[in-house]
Amino acid sequence: MLNLLGEQLLNGIVTGSVYAIVAVGMTMTFGVLRVINFAHGEYFMVGTFASWFVIEKIDLGYPQSVVFAVALTALLAIVVGYFLMRKMVGAPFENGVLATLGVSLILQNLAVALFGGSYKFFNGGYIEPVELFGYGLAQQRILIVIVCVLVFIGLDLMVTYSRMGKSMRAVSQNIECCEIVGIDVQSVVLWTFVIGASLAGLSGVLTAPVNVSVYGGMGELITFKTLPIIIMGGLGNVRGTFIAAMILGIAESFVAGFIGLQFRDSVGFVTLSLMLMWRPHGLFSLQSRF
Amino acid sequence: MSQLQETQQTWRSGFRLPAIILMAAFVLFAPAFVGSYSLHAVVIAMIFLLPALGLNLLVGYTGLLSLAQGAFFGVGAYASALLSIHFNTPFYINVVSAGLISGALALPLGIPALRLRATSFVMCTLGFIVIGQAISKNWISLTRGDMGLSSVPKPYFALGPWSFSVVSTAAYYYLALAVASLAILAFYLIVRSPAGRNMIAIRENETLAEAVGIPTWTYKLIVFVLSAVFAGVGGSLYVHYLTVVSPLTFQMYYTTTILIIVLGGGVGTISGVVFGSILFVALSEVLRVAPEIRMIAYGICLLLIVFKFPKGFAPVIDKVWLALGGQRA
Amino acid sequence: MTTPAILQIEHISKSYGAVKAVSDVSLQLQRGEILGLIGPNGSGKSTFFDCVTGLGMPDQGSVRLDGTVITGWPLNRIAREGRMLRSFQKTVVFSALDVEENLVIAGQMFVFESTRATFGIGKHAATIVEELRIRARELIKLTGLWDVRHMPAGKLSGGQQKLIQFASMLMPKPKVILLDEPMAGINPKLIEQVVEAIRYANTQLGISFLIIEHNIDVVISLCQRVIVLDQGQMLAHGTPQEIVINPLVREAYLGG
Repeated sequence: MLNLLGEQLLNGIVTGSVYAIVAVGMTMTFGVLRVINFAHGEYFMVGTFASWFVIEKIDLGYPQSVVFAVALTALLAIVVGYFLMRKMVGAPFENGVLATLGVSLILQNLAVALFGGSYKFFNGGYIEPVELFGYGLAQQRILIVIVCVLVFIGLDLMVTYSRMGKSMRAVSQNIECCEIVGIDVQSVVLWTFVIGASLAGLSGVLTAPVNVSVYGGMGELITFKTLPIIIMGGLGNVRGTFIAAMILGIAESFVAGFIGLQFRDSVGFVTLSLMLMWRPHGLFSLQSRF
Repeated sequence: MSQLQETQQTWRSGFRLPAIILMAAFVLFAPAFVGSYSLHAVVIAMIFLLPALGLNLLVGYTGLLSLAQGAFFGVGAYASALLSIHFNTPFYINVVSAGLISGALALPLGIPALRLRATSFVMCTLGFIVIGQAISKNWISLTRGDMGLSSVPKPYFALGPWSFSVVSTAAYYYLALAVASLAILAFYLIVRSPAGRNMIAIRENETLAEAVGIPTWTYKLIVFVLSAVFAGVGGSLYVHYLTVVSPLTFQMYYTTTILIIVLGGGVGTISGVVFGSILFVALSEVLRVAPEIRMIAYGICLLLIVFKFPKGFAPVIDKVWLALGGQRA
Repeated sequence: MTTPAILQIEHISKSYGAVKAVSDVSLQLQRGEILGLIGPNGSGKSTFFDCVTGLGMPDQGSVRLDGTVITGWPLNRIAREGRMLRSFQKTVVFSALDVEENLVIAGQMFVFESTRATFGIGKHAATIVEELRIRARELIKLTGLWDVRHMPAGKLSGGQQKLIQFASMLMPKPKVILLDEPMAGINPKLIEQVVEAIRYANTQLGISFLIIEHNIDVVISLCQRVIVLDQGQMLAHGTPQEIVINPLVREAYLGG
């Protein structure tokens, strides 16, 4: 029993890491733009698809595919960010919902239109298991957790010490003052968004060897898990998001292991809805992390 | 007014009545000269019109963005299917019950949800869809899970000694037309009432509405429940047409379509929503557009709506209508 | 024994985090009185208004309107049941609706017995609305907005929107009206009109007024009594004549 518990816990931490990397991007975007990016999961999908494509069709190795995937996601994010997301500054939030919903539809279905609707098999990554605390764990999973930790440390450093990081904090706290003080809000918004989307893409390509199946609609599920995380973690709150992501990952793992696999994917949103209805103020305060 | 203008005025109002009669004739006799597949497309459009009217009440008149219409649509579909399968009830009982059950469900959901700020409210309504999906997949004893319910009976009516079933597409066309017309009438009565005026006030400026004595939260709840009723009725019409229902009815596709109809057709108008239904649903059915292409088109439409046509296509219809001499709807 | 004040506000305090916006402010508005509330920016006047009218729960204190405790009532209930209306510093109207519709909405909730009644579709509801329209048109004529009555309110000038705001508050028959800087941003001729309107409403319609205002001339000419707030606390109170010579007030607010 303890063995099973430990195994689920480890799985949960891995899953939580995946979610954390994706969610931090969405919450940062919200922090500077006050927009919930419904298309965020699609960047995860793009990362996965890009690396699959490069491995299958161009016969590159996995590490190269990671670079390619993140680069492509970043490029896509620059385009979407430049022409779309920047215009959301100061707009009513409904615009953000609808516009990102539109992007999500386009990206999802473009993938289906270009590559077909069938599930593809992802062939790559470090799936050799390694022993850790007496459990067999694929190397890729450990890689995911390590990357997650690095990402968060990196973000923490960037936000605290770098000029961009300080600008991000300023924009998320008081956007009107920023323009007076001379911060290029549009630029900050664009780069925050690009970083966030690229992280989602990175998470996608890192998770692909573990998830194995690749299909156009996979982003929607990710979005549906990231939304509860960022709200429960506190919109704009990076640390809270990390904790919420971990909690969701572990909760999902336990639910899958002890209650039933079919309930796993509902845990996030069901918990969110219940929480919103009974405890509207969230688990953590809505203080912006930066 | 100059003589030229007077002549134009007379000509226009003379043109308007025949135009209405022509449209009415076309609508009433469509099955006679429209192909079976096109008829099917129009039926689907009319089915979607119902939850769209509900969403219009929420977004267009009260200013409340909700993504839950798909959830109540699904609830109505399942409710109607279960009633007719287990109790063999006639259609008018099914359709009314579906509406009432959806509305009744919306009440306990809406009360806590409407206390949330706009962003959280949208998330919460999205949650309703996910929960609907989860329940329909997992409450296997009731819904048969992923297999869904099939062989849902076609609508039948029993009036004394007579009973008849609505089977053919043409017959279903008239049924859908009847239900849709009643729904439009109900919608019209609601928005024309003093309550409708209050809803618009809430949309325009909620604090000011409060300041003139309007209990905004109460109205939002009422509208939330009413729109769920519309969606539930639509779901019932849907399930008896297709004769199957499954957890797939809770996919985002339905909510997205309803959203596009309302926002693209013309938020806050009746003609706009009808137009939206025809444009986005009927047309894409008729053209047999591949689902992916249709969704990409929806996505592009959403972007166009946000950046170029915030009022949807309603202004275009309005101009045509005014040119024919009509009054503002 | 004197009749109790129509508005009894006791010991209102409100803090936002560490900032104490309003600190133990009490006042009594007598029936038929016009009471002025003045003070420097940031002295807590608008916060005080919000606490009294249900746009924010005070941390402490109570508000009694015509004998009934209304602390904690939401804004719409205070308006509808309490018959106490308020204006906003930044003039607001229902932008997409025309002037007549704005006024009809302003009166609706006071003549329909319940929320359910507003869904009425029959003759009865139609008659009520028609009566509202007649009254609205009277007010439109009185405020000189007749020529623009079918224009969307959002397209009118600031001064015209202010008039709509005033007319809206006269659609029902309120007991108390709270005005938040009514003279802000309007030309002198219009100021005269507004002052006349307030006097009319006060003397002919028996409405009591509590007015936040920076225009001292208006305060002197309109108000029977004045209360001065500074940094969330009551600094002084008395007749306008007493206030203008009060050294504390002069230092904090009037200058010199």
